[in-house]
Amino acid sequence: MLRLESVGLRYGQGPEILSDVNFRLESGDFCFLTGPSGAGKTSLLRLLFLALRPSRGLIRLFGEDVAALDRNGLARLRRRIGVVFQEFRLLDHLTTYDNVALPLRVAGRREASYRADVMDLLSWVGLADQAHAYPPVLSGGEKQRAAIARAVIGKPELLLADEPTGNVDPALARRLLHLFVELNRLGTTVLLATHDAKLIAQARAPVMHLEHGELRAA
Amino acid sequence: MSEAAPYRPGPIVPPEAAPLKSLTVTMAVMCYLACLAIGALILIDRAVDSWTGGLSREVTVQVRPVQGADVEAELAKAEALLESVPGIVATQTLDRAAAAKLLEPWLGKGNLDDLPIPRLIRVTIDESAPPDLAGLGEALKAKVKGASLDTHKRWQAELTRMARALSTLSFAVLFLICVSAVAMVIFATRTVLDANREVVDVLHLVGARDGYISRQIDGRFLKTGLWGGLIGVALGLATFLLLGLTGPAGAGGVADASRSLIFAPPGTALWNYAILLTVPFAATLISLVTSRRTLIRMLRNVP
Repeated sequence: MLRLESVGLRYGQGPEILSDVNFRLESGDFCFLTGPSGAGKTSLLRLLFLALRPSRGLIRLFGEDVAALDRNGLARLRRRIGVVFQEFRLLDHLTTYDNVALPLRVAGRREASYRADVMDLLSWVGLADQAHAYPPVLSGGEKQRAAIARAVIGKPELLLADEPTGNVDPALARRLLHLFVELNRLGTTVLLATHDAKLIAQARAPVMHLEHGELRAA
Repeated sequence: MSEAAPYRPGPIVPPEAAPLKSLTVTMAVMCYLACLAIGALILIDRAVDSWTGGLSREVTVQVRPVQGADVEAELAKAEALLESVPGIVATQTLDRAAAAKLLEPWLGKGNLDDLPIPRLIRVTIDESAPPDLAGLGEALKAKVKGASLDTHKRWQAELTRMARALSTLSFAVLFLICVSAVAMVIFATRTVLDANREVVDVLHLVGARDGYISRQIDGRFLKTGLWGGLIGVALGLATFLLLGLTGPAGAGGVADASRSLIFAPPGTALWNYAILLTVPFAATLISLVTSRRTLIRMLRNVP
């Protein structure tokens, strides 16, 4: 499903943020990515959701070499990936409902065809009453849940999440972890980047530790 | 949200893209100027047709008084010669009083009896089978004392040259208007894209193709071009109408020209309006194509 070989990343002429990163995820894996702040977790995730190209090395995703893909090819692969951003990246001019439905809309689905799915998911993450609210009036935790709902609404084959429980209370964090585990049971490969040791302990899943740009199994 | 309630999803790119309001105004001004330039082109074209048509249908025979010859007798000889030439439809000899009147602007209303005034014969020719004008000129010179044939070719050439210069100027103005419109649309597109960079990034990350993102934005430019064009044409037509209705009647100039544009016979008027209505279509096309090309080019630089 996902393979990285000797991947290095530097921004411009700066030092390498990631050095010789090697790892693979098979279909159906559930894995944590941890490490101190500034270790390069977000950069690694940006490489994986194809927002960055590596300075060197090989990334194969869904069996394709991403370096060989044109822009439409990258868009095609991104539709198979769900991403939860640390800073949520919700669109402030769209309602919670429209934000969550965005991947389906971009994929060309009609509103009537996804309305029930989106409302079910919003109910599940506790945002049914906020369906018409705009992100600026949501709390941090509500934005987090909306961002997670947007990432999973398209039933992605690969889910990448950057600190997905960073702004929610422990009870909701457990509930969201349960959602990720359920998705994983249904076949989605999940990679969660987090500092939350309790969350990692609850899931009992493999952990990769990133420090000084180098990745190792914890 | 109820299952049955109709729901219209919000626009993916926020509607408050302020630069497009200014673009609508500037497009309207450009289209207004384009309308005036096109109006000028139509009028120049009609005027040239009318001048050249009128001049090429007519030639003038001038008989100058020559010492030792009776000008009236020479005029009669010239008329007889003209009547015998095929391709001449009619002749009209201006009498001495009419010829003197033609000289009034230069010589005043004084007594011109003592002056040798050249006499003129207006000759209408058959345009479909014109006579041999060179041969006619030679024959007049040979048989009629003091006669010469003026085919108005010099006037025609000068008028055509002037009209061509005015047409070229109008086309140059239209070209510059198009270039300015393209530059404005490129600038506005860049502004809209820069203002919506976060939206574009998120759309890319949820799998949107460049074409999809471009369509979310260029529809606004289509509307802007169409509205700007319609407002510009409406203002242009209102200007011609106002000039035509308020300008002095029968005095020639801009007021008469505007009347001939707006209140032309139905066939011609429809043609005039059709040409002027190409302006909003051109504005819409320029706006849409330019913004789409700019968007696609800029989106290629987004990772």
